[in-house]
Amino acid sequence: MRSQLSITLAVWHAIFLREALDRLFRERGAWFWLLIEPITHIGFLALMWGVIRKTDMGGMDVVVWLMVGMLAFFLFRRTAIQVMYAVDCNRPLFVYRQVKPFDTAVVRGGLEAFIMALVSAIIIVIVNLLGRDAIPSDPLLVMGAVLGLWLFGMGYGLIASVLMELVPELEHILKILMMPLYLISGSIWPLASIPSPYREYLMINPIAHGVEAVRLGYVSHYHAVPGLSLGYLYACSAASIFLGLLLYRRYVLRLVMQ
Amino acid sequence: MIRIEDVHKRYKTDHGMGRWVLQGISLTIPANTNVGLIGINGAGKSTLLRIIGGMDYPNKGRVVRQCRVSWPMGQGGLEATLTGRQNAKFVCRVHGHQNDLPDRLAFVQDFSELGRAFDEPIKTYSSGMRARLQFALSLAFDFDVYISDEVTAAGDASFRKKTAAAFKDMAHRAGLIMVAHDENTLKQFCQAGILISDGKAQWFDQIDDALKAYRDGIQK
Repeated sequence: MRSQLSITLAVWHAIFLREALDRLFRERGAWFWLLIEPITHIGFLALMWGVIRKTDMGGMDVVVWLMVGMLAFFLFRRTAIQVMYAVDCNRPLFVYRQVKPFDTAVVRGGLEAFIMALVSAIIIVIVNLLGRDAIPSDPLLVMGAVLGLWLFGMGYGLIASVLMELVPELEHILKILMMPLYLISGSIWPLASIPSPYREYLMINPIAHGVEAVRLGYVSHYHAVPGLSLGYLYACSAASIFLGLLLYRRYVLRLVMQ
Repeated sequence: MIRIEDVHKRYKTDHGMGRWVLQGISLTIPANTNVGLIGINGAGKSTLLRIIGGMDYPNKGRVVRQCRVSWPMGQGGLEATLTGRQNAKFVCRVHGHQNDLPDRLAFVQDFSELGRAFDEPIKTYSSGMRARLQFALSLAFDFDVYISDEVTAAGDASFRKKTAAAFKDMAHRAGLIMVAHDENTLKQFCQAGILISDGKAQWFDQIDDALKAYRDGIQK
């Protein structure tokens, strides 16, 4: 008889390899599109800001500013979406009773962090080679903020996947929600330029805190948005993950029963 | 040994909760016993089998497994975008066979006789090819108890002969819990029987007694 821990680790190993294959080689050049999506977003917006002769954003080079914000937001979005569909995409595999819905969710989130680390490294090297100074001045702050965003993505995904199972119509709303989140998280234009009191409303969104904190970690003299708080991001992450785990625990049977 | 304690089960339908399929089933299935589940269509045989195998959960009660129990034979889940080999690797890893992976894969490839199709995605398989792979996967591991739901041997004649032989061999080696509508199959493989009717289960030490009680029940 295997111990429970060794079963779980074996299952995580198996799911990780299966998910990695699916994510990187599902279609022709699937890995290429993972890389090219953030590059086109950064490139297009850099072009837009360039057209209106904006080269500096709160003391940061606009290309680096865009790159950092975009990668931070993509980490959140991809983690959230991958975790959200973890149960759906692995349905045939729950026949093996060792595989639990939570295993698929946590492994998918981990895989996405791994892939985004590689994608980010490649993009940072490219931007550096293009002559922009894209080296973080405070790597610890960058890592702290990125971890917070990833945790919030996990929490969002966990909650969303259970809600989607309970009320299938919510899938449409959760999908639509990602678009405004992209716009209001400050990854494409500076939240610091928004007047009070509207800025305070936008800062309710914990992703905005994460995105700005990563920028502050990159350039220490960056004029970050007032009211920036990593603690708030971590509080939201902890709350969402806790709620997500609670929902999984409560509705785990519904997630796999036919 | 498998202990089934006061298992209740009903399914959710589009109009709220459905009727109780199983109502308070308590049984102990001893080790190394071949058991046949008997009952009319819709009596809950497959439901009970799925709950024993851990693919489904009871609304109330529990199942304690003190041995290695298989998934329903020939009904293992396959991921359509992955190849046969990748699916086989997944199942081996989940069952803790990372170390002897090549041996298990060689067995699955050999038994399924898929040849080069073993490295093609499952979505390109015919239903016969799927069945071959699923049956080979079921036989690739040493379980203490196998569960089998109407395993009508799939594939062409030669493969059917091979699976029948393998099934017989497996039934001698390990315990078996099976659902089958053919009486001769049940008599051939099982010693004991469980009759399921009206959500209750009744244990018979002899499969013949169970079949007799089943026939008497129908005639009434």
